[in-house]
Parts: sequence; C-alpha cells; structure tokens
Amino acid sequence: MIRTDDATAHVLARAGGPLPLGAGAAAPAGMLRLTRPDSTGEALPVWPDGATPSLLEEHQVAPVPVERAGETRRVLAACLRCCWTDQSADPWPGDPAPVELVLDTYRALIGRTDDLMRNWARGALRRLHDSAWIVMADGLVTLGPRCALWPVKSYAQLKELVRRVPEPERAALTVVADADIIAAATADTTAVAADTTAVAADTTAVAADTPLAVDTPLAVAATAGTTAADPESPAAGAGAPARTDPVPPPAPSGEPDPTARHDSSPEPDAAAPRVRLGGQVEGGAAEFDDLLGGYDERRRAELVAAFMAVEHAAEPVPEARFAGLRDPALRHTLGEMLARRGRTLIPHRERWISGYDDHAAARAARLSDESVSEGRPGGRGGAGQARLGEAAKAVLTLVLVHSVAIPRAEGLLPEDTWASPHPTPVDELRRHTQVPIGELEAALRTLRHAGLLTQVKAGEEAGGYVPGPQFHRLTPAARRRLQEELILAAGPHTPLAGAVRARRSAD
Amino acid sequence: MSDQPLTLDAALSDEAVLSTYRRMFAALARDSGAVVDDPALVDIAETLFAAFAEAGEEWLTHEQMRFACRAYPADQFDNRLRVLKGLGAIREVFPKPHQLRYRASFTSVVGLMFIRRMMDDGGQSEMHRLLALEDLNVADPRTTMEEARQSAANLARAFRLWALELITLTTGTIEELREQAPKLWGTEEIARRAQSLHGTILTRWPELDRVCTDLRAAIYAYSDASRRAAGRLADSAGTTRNLTLLPTETWRTFTQTAGKERLAAVLDGFVFDAPAPWHDPAAIARAVDEAPRPAPAQPTPPRSALPDAGPEGSLDSSPTAALERLAQVAESVLGSASRVALADVLGADWPSARRLLADLTTVDLRPELPYRLTWSDDLTIDPAREPSWLSHGYLERVP
Repeated sequence: MIRTDDATAHVLARAGGPLPLGAGAAAPAGMLRLTRPDSTGEALPVWPDGATPSLLEEHQVAPVPVERAGETRRVLAACLRCCWTDQSADPWPGDPAPVELVLDTYRALIGRTDDLMRNWARGALRRLHDSAWIVMADGLVTLGPRCALWPVKSYAQLKELVRRVPEPERAALTVVADADIIAAATADTTAVAADTTAVAADTTAVAADTPLAVDTPLAVAATAGTTAADPESPAAGAGAPARTDPVPPPAPSGEPDPTARHDSSPEPDAAAPRVRLGGQVEGGAAEFDDLLGGYDERRRAELVAAFMAVEHAAEPVPEARFAGLRDPALRHTLGEMLARRGRTLIPHRERWISGYDDHAAARAARLSDESVSEGRPGGRGGAGQARLGEAAKAVLTLVLVHSVAIPRAEGLLPEDTWASPHPTPVDELRRHTQVPIGELEAALRTLRHAGLLTQVKAGEEAGGYVPGPQFHRLTPAARRRLQEELILAAGPHTPLAGAVRARRSAD
Repeated sequence: MSDQPLTLDAALSDEAVLSTYRRMFAALARDSGAVVDDPALVDIAETLFAAFAEAGEEWLTHEQMRFACRAYPADQFDNRLRVLKGLGAIREVFPKPHQLRYRASFTSVVGLMFIRRMMDDGGQSEMHRLLALEDLNVADPRTTMEEARQSAANLARAFRLWALELITLTTGTIEELREQAPKLWGTEEIARRAQSLHGTILTRWPELDRVCTDLRAAIYAYSDASRRAAGRLADSAGTTRNLTLLPTETWRTFTQTAGKERLAAVLDGFVFDAPAPWHDPAAIARAVDEAPRPAPAQPTPPRSALPDAGPEGSLDSSPTAALERLAQVAESVLGSASRVALADVLGADWPSARRLLADLTTVDLRPELPYRLTWSDDLTIDPAREPSWLSHGYLERVP
C-alpha cells in the first residue's frame, strides 16, 4: 500500500476514480469510505456541506457535458431498477443483476427492441462503468461507488423513479434463471476474492504501523489468516459517520434471493464470507470545518458554491457571478480549500477555474507510475485505474499538434491556451498517422468521455476534434511543460530542444 | 508592390529584405548607397531574366524588355536597365554601336538564384551544401594539403563570424533575435557534418592539427551560441510563441511518422481527470420522463370467458342455398294460396316487416324464382298503426 497525504489521495481519486483502500485503512479526509464485508473498501471524495454538482445548475454554470446524457441516465435508471431491490436500505451497494435483465428493463422503458437500441444501451453501460456509476463484470451489473454519493434526501425521488420504470416483459422460456446466473457468477468470484484477501493480508502489515483510524464495525474476514487491525487505535475524532446507521453485513447464511437454488453454488467452507455485495457507507472526516467555521452562513454558502463551480464547470467561471471568487479574502480561503485537495485556482483574465496543483500532480503521477510498474493484482488495484491507454494518449497528442501547434506556428492562434477553434479532421487521424485504425475509434471514445476531446460537427463530412474542456484546467507551468514536451518530441535535434533540455538540467 | 496598401508590417518586412541584400553585397559595393533601396527593383531584374530565358536565341529588344516589365513604373525600369547594363548583367548581343538586341548574363542569373535562397533560410542550406562539397573535396585523392588547409581555415572563419553574429543577437533586442536567430542557428546536423569534415582532414593530414583545432573551436563556439540564442528566445517567448519556432512542416512530419509510443510519451506525467459526470436523481427522472414512449399497442377486443366456437360453420356457402332460402320465405308467406296481400302478411313490428319486404323484393328480382310482387296505387295511412304508411301490393305465384 502506498502511503499518501490527503491532497495526493484526492488527486489520485480525481484522476483515477475511486481509491482502493486496504483492510481497515481509513479514508483520507473529505472522502467517503465504502466498506466491504472484509473491511477493505474504496474511498470517494465528497463535497463540503452536502453539496452536489447539481448546485451548478442553480447558478446557471454549465457543467462538463455528459456524453449522450439522456440515454446514459435512462440506462442508469434501468440499473437502479434491477439492483436496488431492498428499498429500505441505501441504493449502494444493492444486489447484482444480470446485464440481460438490465437491457430488458431498458427496452421496456423506451419501447424499442432493435439492435441499434441494444448497441446504444451497451455503450451507455460501458460509459457508466468507466465512470464508476456501475460495475459491470462477468455478465453482472452492480451499482458503482458513485451511487453512494446521492444525498439521502433524494432517495424518495429515486424510489418514485424506480416505481415508474416498467417491469420488463420477459419470455417465459429463459434458459437460465436470473438467480442462477448470479449464483454462478458469484461462485466464480469466490476464487478471486480469496486472492484479494491474501493481498489484504500483506497490506494490513503496512497498515498496522500507520496510525490509521479504524472505525469500521465490521470484523475483518478471518479466512486468510489476516489479523484484524487494532480496534483500539485512535478513532477519527471528527470523523463521525455523517448519515449511515451501520448496516449489519449480510449474514453468511443469507440467501441473495429466495428463488435462488442454493445447491448450484459450491460452498464447501461455511466460514468463508459470502461474496455478496455487502458493504456500508461511512462518512469521511469533515475537512474544511476549520476554514469555513469562521464565516457566517451566507459567506459559507458562497464559498461552497464557488468551490463547486470551479471544480465542476466546463469553462472558466466569471468572477462577477460568485462572491467567493470576487472577494479577495474569500478567494484566498477558496484557494486553501482547493489546496487541501491538491488543486489550485487558475486565472483566465476575469474568470477562474481549478486545476491540479503542480507539485501534487507530480507526486500523484509518480505514485500511479509506481503502482502500475508494481503490477498490483486484482485488476482494479492501484490508483489510476482510469489512466489513459497508449493509443488514447497518442491520439490526444495528434490533436494537440494539429489543433494547437500547427495553427500557432502559422500565427493563427496567438493566445496562451490549449483550447482551439481549429478542429483536427478525423480523416487526418485515420489516414495520415501511425495509429492503428482499430485503436483509433476506442481512443476517441475514451477521450470524448473524459472531456479531453470535443467533437466538432460541421456539415456532412467536415468537422473533427478539438482539445476538450479539461485543457482549461492546466496551470501555466503545465501549459509550458506540455509545449516543451511537444517540442522535444517533434524536433529533438533542434537547438530549441537543446535549450529546453539545458534549462531542465539546470533546474 | 504599388497596389498594396503600405502598412507598417509591409514596410518592416521590406526593410528586413533590404538589410539582407545590403549585407550580402557589402563585400562588393563601391559605396554604402550602392545597394537597391526598394525590393521591387530586384523583382524587375528577375522579371527581365525570366523574359530573356523565354526569348531564347531571339534575344530581346528594348521595347520587348519594357513590355515584359510593363507592371513596373517607367522610371524604375529605366533606372534598373541602366544599372544592369552598366554592370554587365545585360549586354548587347554584339558589341557594336546602335545595337538593338540584348542578352542576359548567366552569372547574374545564378547569382540571383543564390540570393533568393539565402533570403529564404539565411544560408543554412548553403552551409549544408558547402559542407557536403568540402567533405567530397577533402576526400578526393587529388586534393593537396594546402587546399585542405585553406578550406578548413575558411570554414573556421565562417563559423566564427556566424557565432559572433548570434552572440550579438542574443544580447540585443528580443524582436531582432526572433526575426534573425532561427535563420542563423545551426541544427545538430550542421555541427555533425562540420565535425566529420574536421575528422577527415585531421586523419588525412595530421600535420594540419593547428588549423583543425581552430576549426573545432569555431564549431563548438557556433553550437554554443546557437543553443544560447535558442534558450534566450525560448525563455522570453514564454508560453505563446515557442511553438512557432518549429516550422509547420516539422509538426506535420511528426504527426505522420511518429509511432504510437513516441506520440504517447509526450503526455507522460500529465494528470488528467477521470470521467466523472454527475447524474443527479432529478436529472435521471427527467431523462426517464423524456424517454421516447413506446407506440400504443392495438387494444384487443373483449372476449367472453366461456368457450365460444364462434359463428364459424353456420354459413351454408353452397351456390343454391340463397335461392332455397328465398323460396322458403315466399312459400311460408303464400301458404297454399296463389296470391296474398302484403298488408295481411306484414306484422305490426317494423324491423321484421322490413326484413320480410327486403327478402320479397329479392325474390321478385330473381327471374328463376316463380314469385312476383305487384304494386297498386292505393295507399293506406293510419297514424295509429305500424307501418303507418302502407302501399298495397300482392305476392303472386307465377305458374
């Protein structure tokens, strides 16, 4: 387990999705801990004062656009309908459901049965999986960690929503019953789970010497001989669970479904924890109270609004719209709030947006490189599961050269920005580069979804890609470094590259 | 030239062109005012040479030359022609008085080509060619040591002067540096060629080590000055202008030839956000509301819960069935009589009377059936009875 400070952990979580936590390891400040029955878990950042990004809507600031938003959300509604079976509990973790059931539910919702609809729904499932709203594996869908971020007061709305999604009409002749699919899939994962608990055994040794708060009521799974972390370690003082009553972990004898035929799942060891999706949400330590405590309610709300706006807006936010940005004192506090998450304010004339602090980003990049080179087991292991693949990076570089470097070399793009009005034609990417065509489409999809590329449509054939909204979030130092890296790559033997290298070695 | 609006930018670029001309011919000029003061004058010369090349052995008369240069003002043309003639770039075909035809000098044409190329890249490619030629020369077995010494000394001098100019630029204004430096600084390619030339000379004539040391020092000084000029420019240009310092072609070549790994390596160490769109419960509910509704299915008609075979099979579809039924109706009305009044057979209720009338009318219209309806003009009206209006008619059996 890599030890990280809270700011770096926040950077890793923003760049790579939910952070995996070892058994008993506490979540960094400002994060929820989603605890599994074996006391490992995932950490996910939450926002101050119970805000959610829907706050942006109230302030009429455009959030980063969601690709195919309507369809994606309808598919998420179908997932919720299938997985949130016990509505007296929180939606997360819910129960697993076969992908086919989700697809059937979606079909009933929109009343279309053609192949096109099926492909679209599969695309939406993939995007939801990539953004941790659902977890799709072995033909099963479960609700993902981000579903734990829905505020409790919205549960009534979610229940009403689930009620409105129609029951799918399924042919009586399904070859395998849903419950059997689930039982078979969970039997598969039992083996994997045994592996991961072994890993957990390694990590508890490390965790034991760090003063980590263990405020989980769950006993550590006793299977792989792991010792439970010391229950007397200092409990997190401010880390009172925000909202969850501890949900008891599912009893080992608990059946996932009354109709499930138990005899089909091999379970020789009664002591082995059932790999059912047990889990509970534990509120993280409040991280901004010492900063926000001194302000009255109105200023506090203004600070939180500005924080949410700069963190989630698609474009830099005009300071005239937010007192938290206009007032230098408040802006200073906002800067401190952001710094605790490894972020920093980036000015664009009279507009502001947040980006990764250069030092925190460098630390995080180093850490995720290490965790990749260690080749940690478990697939999702290591921070940065959402790292860009090689093809995606290559395509992004190509777009940067075509949309920014070349227009700038021709004097068409005077400003210091990586946003550009000059689209890179898809044909250029397809025909005149060394990136294999097979990898191009997937790379473009990933980059679009992450807001690294924006598709520009113009007429039938024209149009292409420009750098996406994420490029507003580069600090001046990062903008400069990106430029230097491009020069080093494109003209490694030019005196310019020599000068760049000389300056770097001098630093 | 004259039809362009005279902007500050145009004037500046003209001045840059002229200063290069002046520097190039400084070695040959008689006094400091001897080089052209308008870039258009060089264009006139070039137009003239092009016209001469086209004319071939016909040569050109004064009028033809004037025609070729009709785009330029007459006084500029005359001035230019006088200078070109005076310097021998354009000469009479035969050196005798009252000659009307002229020819162009080959040397001047080549000279002009060279000038244009120097204008484009500040002599970098000339240096490339020069180095390549010198490399061939010193490798030639006929070359003497004296020639090699001369060549090394020349190159050393050229590199020193080049380096000096770059150093001056580096300490001067940033605008001048930006304008001039990329034309002057050497690529690693030039330094590598120069060093290989130096190596060739030194291995062949070890006794020339003194000249070679000079050459080596000059090459190093030049590389260093290039790097420093680029460094200053990179520092001052900040984040906006640096990318402009690599030409567009370099960028294009990079995108077209670089492999996936090399392209991807550019973004190593950069941290970007993972996709994390927010799906608010309200937004999900809205999306569900806006879902394309399934087309309404056709409602099935209500069915009885009891088993019902339906009317199927109750219809006799044989061709004579209709006739038989009609004959039956007529017979049941007539009974044993051969003629019967309709007023007697029609009942009091109109629906059954109507059906019977329809059947009887059909019977009447079937010529193969032996019954006819006859109507009289009498009409009985009785409001209390049904039907209240009754025409008198009879059904008769026809023999």
